[in-house]
Amino acid sequence: MKASILALAVAAAAATGAWADDAYPSKEIQGIIQWGAGGSTDTVMRAVTPHAAKALDGNIVMQNKTGGVGAIAMRYVQSQKADGYTLLMGAENPQMYKVLGLGTDDYSDMIPISVLARGVPIFVANNDAPYDNMAEFVEYAKANPGEVRVGSTGPGGLTSIVLAMLTSQADVEFTRVPFDGDGPALTALQGGALDVMPAVLGAAIEGVKAGRMKVIGLVDVEENPLLPGVEPITAALPGMSDYLPWGPFFGVFVKKGTPDPVVAELQAAYAEGAQNEDFRKLMADRGFTIMAIAGDEAMEFLDGYRSVSSWLVYDAGFAKKSPEEFGIARP
Amino acid sequence: MDALLAFLTVFTHPELLLLVGLGTFAGVYVGAIPGLSVTMAVSILISFTFSWDVLPAISLMIGIYMGGVYGGSRTAILLNIPGAPSAIATAMDGYPMAQRGEAGQAIGVTTVMSFFGGLIGIAVLALAAPAVSDFALSFQPRDYMLLAILGILLVGSLSTGSLVKGIFSGSLGLAIGAVGLDPLTFTERFTFGVPLLQGGISFIAVMIGMFGVSEALIQLQHVNSAAVRQKIDRIVPSWDTVKKHLPLSMQTSFIGVIIGALPGTGGDIAALMAYDHAKRVTKKPSRPFGKGAIEGLVAPETANNAAVGGAFIPMMTLGIPGDAVTAIMIGALFIHGLNPGPMLMVTQPDMFWVIVGALVTANAFMLLFGLTGIRLFTKIVELPRAVLIPLIMLLSIVGAYAVNNSVTDVYWMLGFGVFGYFMRHYGYPLGPVILGVILSRLLDDNWRRAIISDREDLGAFFHGILTSPLSLVLTVAVVLIFLSQTPLWRAAIGRLGQRRHRHAAG
Repeated sequence: MKASILALAVAAAAATGAWADDAYPSKEIQGIIQWGAGGSTDTVMRAVTPHAAKALDGNIVMQNKTGGVGAIAMRYVQSQKADGYTLLMGAENPQMYKVLGLGTDDYSDMIPISVLARGVPIFVANNDAPYDNMAEFVEYAKANPGEVRVGSTGPGGLTSIVLAMLTSQADVEFTRVPFDGDGPALTALQGGALDVMPAVLGAAIEGVKAGRMKVIGLVDVEENPLLPGVEPITAALPGMSDYLPWGPFFGVFVKKGTPDPVVAELQAAYAEGAQNEDFRKLMADRGFTIMAIAGDEAMEFLDGYRSVSSWLVYDAGFAKKSPEEFGIARP
Repeated sequence: MDALLAFLTVFTHPELLLLVGLGTFAGVYVGAIPGLSVTMAVSILISFTFSWDVLPAISLMIGIYMGGVYGGSRTAILLNIPGAPSAIATAMDGYPMAQRGEAGQAIGVTTVMSFFGGLIGIAVLALAAPAVSDFALSFQPRDYMLLAILGILLVGSLSTGSLVKGIFSGSLGLAIGAVGLDPLTFTERFTFGVPLLQGGISFIAVMIGMFGVSEALIQLQHVNSAAVRQKIDRIVPSWDTVKKHLPLSMQTSFIGVIIGALPGTGGDIAALMAYDHAKRVTKKPSRPFGKGAIEGLVAPETANNAAVGGAFIPMMTLGIPGDAVTAIMIGALFIHGLNPGPMLMVTQPDMFWVIVGALVTANAFMLLFGLTGIRLFTKIVELPRAVLIPLIMLLSIVGAYAVNNSVTDVYWMLGFGVFGYFMRHYGYPLGPVILGVILSRLLDDNWRRAIISDREDLGAFFHGILTSPLSLVLTVAVVLIFLSQTPLWRAAIGRLGQRRHRHAAG
């Protein structure tokens, strides 16, 4: 009872503007997760947010708002007040909205609270596939154009960009079978409906460990501790180093115009939350590289991602608009 | 020995037992409210149980899951509003029973049969998980497509009266399911340039509107007629009743396990397929289907609860979710530091047996909570209409809003409610609409996957169907079921019968 009176008083005070921003957070904060429950974005956000909420001494309630490759969630957050009470918890997808014509905003229209982590893409193949590394795979694909069935998660998705990188380096042709997400595609790979799938390391690692599929390429510039003995893709295709390191990422964002002290408080809270041992272990197990960057550093990373991906997609011919229209510079 | 100990973990730890019980109880009621789904409840629980140990967290989730799948039948029987998509088939014979004053009996049969189905599902999970998951993995996109076609042929059983009207309803459902950004290529379909339509039409909103609001509108016409008095003397079905339906419930349970184990199909499709199966194999139902046949309750309820055990099969053996709820549970296991995947059974076999134990416990609690409190529940139907109708409207609005916290969904729900009212008025069945929406994406996505895989070569596509035993079996099933719904079949059977008759006579 006492608590509810207090809450009422707080609400009244907030409504009359009697309390300044230093009372943040004075009410529940809403976290809008761009992807569905159980997915990578969801797992990462639900793992880090309780620690951030503790650091903030507040309450962050998360809900999933899916649809439109995450554009629905972003549109929702952008339609709320810029008061720091609505957070967007998203993945890399919005950085492609403009060139793909999926939305009018991307992360450059928001303030990064924290870019938490980055994933490493890998190529996995069905165990029966007659190739074991990138060089053999490229050779096979060249000799049998269109025969290799590769899973695809839609234009702008990780697979489309990684394949665009590959086709910019080697003249290969695939049959691209669309799946809604890397989970279902990896399932299909194990069942033999697909031959090869570019996926984020964390999504495939358990299947690889159990021997249900094999890694044929690591899309990074250096070896990964989770995949000892797998050489980076730049060994077979040195030209790839122009684009790398590149990878999907997870971040927390607020609407532009959110007061600076609120942004600072949220940034500090998520920076502290990302230091939590459990969270770090979870990320390491799933093969994600913790970044936990904010401010200019985050902006720089986000711009780099957007520029590489947008131009790759544009050059590969499936962008609806030129990155130039939005002032996105070539990498 | 270790396995047995792990299996008994839940029974030997009072706090786990309590959590499973609590979860099941909550699940029954969450499941009963249309729009409040198990998926939603379990995803809320992920943050709620974040700081707990893994076992209590999983115990609670399993309880909610088991209870919730069953709970959907309550409102389906009492109010003709399925609490969850998997209870759509339950409404078709459950509600007519309630209208005859047999709601208590209907709930009793439903509960016992759900328990039975749940048990079969768990037994298959415990005894044959690796084999079933390998079988489930062998389903190619074209097999999923064939499964969807098989599903669409159910329109015949879900339509009472005119088949043409049923086909219209089914096609409408397929079209509704196609609205929005196409998930494979992100192309806009049927959006007419309206951004609101990009996200598609919430299938739960359609379901609640079509069943809930239209029911309220229909009842408005008889607002002054007295409510049916409910007989509640015979709640627990007699042993004879159970025994009589044992063969059918075994068959429908296995349908449930397999459909549940397939990643990409779940309890909703399983229940509808089981209903169809029951209609086909039951020669003499207790009453005609659609008018309160017990078989029409037995089939979907065994199947959707068996699908729970089924959904755990790929989750535990491969780390692949069997449905939306197990997808969230996989996320929960990750957060709690486990690595669900094919290695989980090898590195932590105990976890598997603890989950099986928790499922058995939840299933037992479901029986307990299901058979108690029926008296109170049946009172709902005896409420005066002037109270009942606003109550249905309230439930429908809350439910539609709760799915995505979106007011738009409430408008969709109301719109489809009014539309559903007119459909009922002119004798268009509503079941096929929902069937169409459920199957729309399964059919569309997998057809495209299948034909793209074969490089858009129809010859290669049919070659694939003919050379894969699984695809061939499914195709034969599709053809037979299709033929059995045409007059041709009846004529052939008739002639065959005559000939046999003549032989016997001669």
